[in-house]
Amino acid sequence: MSVVFGLAAVIAFMGALGVVLSQRTIYSAMSLVLNMVALAVLFLLLDAQFIAAVQIIVYAGAVMVLFVFIIALLSPGAEERLRSVELRLLLGGVGAVAFTLLIGRLTLNGITVGAHGRLHGALGPFSPVAVNAHGQVQTLGDQLFTTYLLPFEVTSLLLLVAAVGAVYLSRRRRQVA
Amino acid sequence: MSGLFPGFLILSAAMFAIGAAGVLVRRNPIVVFMCIELMLNSANLALVTYARYTHTMAGQVFALIVIAVAASEVVVGLALITGVYRSGRRLDLDELSEMSE
Repeated sequence: MSVVFGLAAVIAFMGALGVVLSQRTIYSAMSLVLNMVALAVLFLLLDAQFIAAVQIIVYAGAVMVLFVFIIALLSPGAEERLRSVELRLLLGGVGAVAFTLLIGRLTLNGITVGAHGRLHGALGPFSPVAVNAHGQVQTLGDQLFTTYLLPFEVTSLLLLVAAVGAVYLSRRRRQVA
Repeated sequence: MSGLFPGFLILSAAMFAIGAAGVLVRRNPIVVFMCIELMLNSANLALVTYARYTHTMAGQVFALIVIAVAASEVVVGLALITGVYRSGRRLDLDELSEMSE
């Protein structure tokens, strides 16, 4: 278990670094695909099978195809190296390390993990054993269409607005004489 | 398995920080969008981690919603980028700052 976690975590980390540090846009996109596939493995480790499948289908499939399509269409070349780029990367790296330490310190503050992977405090009814007995997708679907129905409907509205907005933005404008 | 809980959160924090640094450092708008995707993904990882270790379902439901939001955000963003490209300007965020003036 921890071997799989270590491998997937290292691959996800390398992919994340590759997105920022790659000189060519298409290499950034491929690094992001690597990162997303490694994240899907991590979701499987966390007993979230449906999220892992959606991650592969929507992210690594649809979203990244869109990215690669736009990159091929616009063919942006390599970013020109300016003198300030190295300084920017250095500052960005220092900022990223500091930010990681800050978030890590805050999130792990006061959290203690006891035996059997239990966090201290009240636990919900959806233990991995119970969820897998009922079916992971069934449990998620039950929750999505009962307790979380309003966020679900708002999300569908958001998708409609995004589709209309994208059509409006990318239509060919008639020249006004 | 219990020992991995901090590992997931630290990886999530590192990915978020890398994405945030990328948004600030890179000048290509397409790469900036990919860095935003990276930040959303790290938020997803934290949500699912907490859902798993507190035995709740809310984290997974909201991870699903975050994925939908990210997909719609990419659609609108890439439409904006093609619009900028078609208007004949170079895809460079430092040169596209005229909107703020």
